[in-house]
Amino acid sequence: MDITAAAPEVKQDAKALPAAWAGLGYHELNAMLNLYGQNGEIQFGADRAAARQYFLEHVNNNTVFFHDLEEKLDYLVKNQYYERETLDQYTMNFIRDLFNHAYKKKFRFETFLGAFKFYTSYTLKTFDGKRFLERYEDRVCMVALHLARGDESLATKLVDEIIEGRFQPATPTFLNAGKAQRGELVSCFLLRIEDNMESIARGINSALQLSKRGGGVALSLTNIREHGAPIKQIENQSSGVIPVMKLLEDSFSYANQLGARQGAGAVYLHAHHPDIYRFLDTKRENADEKIRIKTLSLGVVIPDITFELAKRNEDMYLFSPYDVERVYGIPFSDVSVTEKYYEMVDDARIKKTKINAREFFQTLAEIQFESGYPYIMFEDTVNRANPIAGKITMSNLCSEILQVSTPSVYTEDLGYEVVGKDISCNLGSLNIAKTMDSPDFGNTIETSIRALTAVSDMSFINSVPSIAQGNSQSHAIGLGQMNLHGYLARERVHYGSEEGLDFTNIYFYTVLFHCLRASNKLAMETGSAFAGFADSKYASGEFFDKYTEQEWVPATERVAELFDGIHIPTQDDWRELKASVMAHGIYNQNLQAVPPTGSISYINNSTSSIHPVASKIEIRKEGKLGRVYYPAPYLTNDNLEYYQDAYELGYEKIIDTYAAATQHVDQGLSLTLFFKDTATTRDINKAQIYAWRKGIKTIYYIRLRQLALEGTEVENCVSCAL
Amino acid sequence: MTERVKLLSHVEAINWNRIQDEKDVEVWNRLVNNFWLPEKVPLSNDIQSWATLTPDEQTLTMRVFTGLTLLDTLQGTVGAVSLIPDAITPHEEAVYTNIAFMESVHAKSYSSIFSTLCSTKEIDEAFRWSTENVNLQKKAQIIESYYYGDDPLKRKIASTLLESFLFYSGFYLPMYWSSRAKLTNTADLIRLIIRDEAVHGYYIGYKYQKGLEAIPEERREELKDYTFELLFELYENEVQYTHDLYDSVGLAEDVKKFLHYNANKALMNLGYEAMFPSSVTDVNPAILSALSPNADENHDFFSGSGSSYVIGKAVNTEDEDWDF
Repeated sequence: MDITAAAPEVKQDAKALPAAWAGLGYHELNAMLNLYGQNGEIQFGADRAAARQYFLEHVNNNTVFFHDLEEKLDYLVKNQYYERETLDQYTMNFIRDLFNHAYKKKFRFETFLGAFKFYTSYTLKTFDGKRFLERYEDRVCMVALHLARGDESLATKLVDEIIEGRFQPATPTFLNAGKAQRGELVSCFLLRIEDNMESIARGINSALQLSKRGGGVALSLTNIREHGAPIKQIENQSSGVIPVMKLLEDSFSYANQLGARQGAGAVYLHAHHPDIYRFLDTKRENADEKIRIKTLSLGVVIPDITFELAKRNEDMYLFSPYDVERVYGIPFSDVSVTEKYYEMVDDARIKKTKINAREFFQTLAEIQFESGYPYIMFEDTVNRANPIAGKITMSNLCSEILQVSTPSVYTEDLGYEVVGKDISCNLGSLNIAKTMDSPDFGNTIETSIRALTAVSDMSFINSVPSIAQGNSQSHAIGLGQMNLHGYLARERVHYGSEEGLDFTNIYFYTVLFHCLRASNKLAMETGSAFAGFADSKYASGEFFDKYTEQEWVPATERVAELFDGIHIPTQDDWRELKASVMAHGIYNQNLQAVPPTGSISYINNSTSSIHPVASKIEIRKEGKLGRVYYPAPYLTNDNLEYYQDAYELGYEKIIDTYAAATQHVDQGLSLTLFFKDTATTRDINKAQIYAWRKGIKTIYYIRLRQLALEGTEVENCVSCAL
Repeated sequence: MTERVKLLSHVEAINWNRIQDEKDVEVWNRLVNNFWLPEKVPLSNDIQSWATLTPDEQTLTMRVFTGLTLLDTLQGTVGAVSLIPDAITPHEEAVYTNIAFMESVHAKSYSSIFSTLCSTKEIDEAFRWSTENVNLQKKAQIIESYYYGDDPLKRKIASTLLESFLFYSGFYLPMYWSSRAKLTNTADLIRLIIRDEAVHGYYIGYKYQKGLEAIPEERREELKDYTFELLFELYENEVQYTHDLYDSVGLAEDVKKFLHYNANKALMNLGYEAMFPSSVTDVNPAILSALSPNADENHDFFSGSGSSYVIGKAVNTEDEDWDF
């Protein structure tokens, strides 16, 4: 076996490079993607040349050389690069075979960005950061060995799924697994903050601890009493949520994950919290420095009643969380505002202020124009679709995690009187195109569910006991999807067309079945279901009604054709699964969540999530990468018409696609809306209303594209021309 | 300079409901939508990256920014203001006041970069260099002399050359750094400035061409010759300035190509043919691609604020929107 040879890890163009490209570095070659060639064609060859040049110029020269695998592993373990425990679970014979197996697959990066991203951000480097110790195959094998926990068959299956591009673990898992110096494998954390100083202090401490260990943190501020609320019954004492946001913003800037990426955080606030306008104004272009929030992400929780009030063009009342908690005996976020709205309006004990509901939506859209924020969670939609007992009060940094939580109670020294349940979720995504090509669709999903469950089982976040508690009780995971647009374009189906929506529906329907089946299997193997299973709609069987009482089949011939060879679950399949679930339970409280997939989709050569492409040639800007250009997967100069971008497609097609998927996903899906700069706040509001009516659970960013004023554009620039 | 900039002798109330030139409204709207302040860019995220630059590279970067500060100050306090008395329409006057203000925002932005990344002593050092550098001072003086001169069209020529040509020897550097994943937030801020300057240069050039329509052929010829002479004078000086700055890091030749490219762009804005053949304008594609004033890059919360958001147009929703 030759695991150290300097063969470039990228596809080569048969043709020799044009003379004009001679002497260009890899950054320059990559940038040629954004400039049309002489005949107005997109220069895909330049990008492949960039990838090749990157290996020749940079990677191969900076990779540490070992004679064979034993020498390499030995060195890496002794020098504390690899975790000995990971390798000790297997025999050397098996490990050697597994690496051999991986290298035989002849993995090649499809794009410059894929290779560049992997070697910049994921691969193991010497401690001085200067030389590479891993190739792509090595990383895949270490991830598989780590997650399979000694199970040889699972390790082999995982290598197959990952290296063939079907399953891609999320960044924290793919980056960290098997390394000795590392952060956590989990992506994402959600914390409640209650209306007391201990809880706020714990929240900040947790933000620091969790950022340090990897992953984004979201905190709900809904329960914190508003600006001017009483403290110890003395009026006008509290300073509201803004100072807490400032503290959190600084905490996230301070903690980064071994320099791998900056800490990042989000805060959610309920639309009927009295500080809502203050909260939104922190993102204004001309906000005062004292209250301006630069890097913290914002989310707003909106219940149905707000839409009803806006429909009737009425005022909306905002309620003091301090009073609501005193009246109802539970935190504000756990009260259903839609249900109790008029009761609270009439209750003299609850202090309230009012704003106009339509004005609120318009302000929301104004801020989104200026900053892309806030995210939105449609509270009642989310809770109606939730099969688990309890209330979902917030989402996370990417607005795809939706789980129930319960409050913690702290002692004065910040110890726990009651350990509540906070949320963590580890993610991984399927490449839809590759999964549709899978020799065994069901097995691809089962293997992925097992990998994600392993991460949950192996994670003990002791620094935040409420997270550790939540994880050990719920084993929540989030299987995501990406490359929908890439797949549809490859199959010459237009995104958002009748066939596109039909495919999305049947695909997610089939995925759900296999997710539940796999989790049911896990429950039988371990003899345990998640805590709270008995109170869930899975246990009552109610969850399955929509699948046993209704037939789900492709509505178009084209989609039936695409599924040729893949079994689409029948009503009988569902009845059988229902019986087994009701008898044995499922191991994971949550199974699916569709994240936005930034970095991993570049490595995996996918379009992000189930979005349309933002551009045929995407400009990617990141702190660690600089500005890099990425061609949409499967794009050629001959199939450009299938790559209409998100701005051209308009919001209806995107929302329709997400709605088709949402009905089969237990958690959320990161849904970004794209507008041209000719849009107004009214257009954004219309899109929000449309999304809410279509049963969308959350909205992630609002993105705007401003084209260069005619006459000021850069000549021949691909991203300028439309 | 003792002469004073001429003020408008007669002012009438501006009526935006009587538009003589649609371009005024289009550009005004664009500029207003593009409004931004340096405080929105998280420059402090570049501190780590700044520390990875060599001392030579740091000095270069600071000098480049002091040079840009000087030009923006000039354009904000004298340049754009000096165009007002010659405006053809009242709306054109309004656009110039916007340009003047944004130039002052730009000048202040460089100070934000400085105060975030460098010590006071280093900043003072860099400003001292900029007052002592002969070529930098010369280019400011050349432009300034036209602003104080009495030919309105020549003022526009000088202004367009400043906006579309002279800034770019400085803009090269942050674009170069960001293509190498350095100072990416600073580059975001500079891209916002480029986004503005692209519109400014285009608009002033357009107004110059409008001005040409009203004068005899003979004088048009004279102005064209004059433009090329001035550009050449500035170019020679700019080449010297480029060597002063970039020789220490070996980028001077590449920057010169970028100068050629932008000189052609400035001429295009004025309605003239290119001066440099395409063989000497083959700018590094990484820089050229980064220059695109389109706001369409993709980034996430781990990657800074980006340079793509604009101030939106607020429109009330109507009952029909809420029909559900």
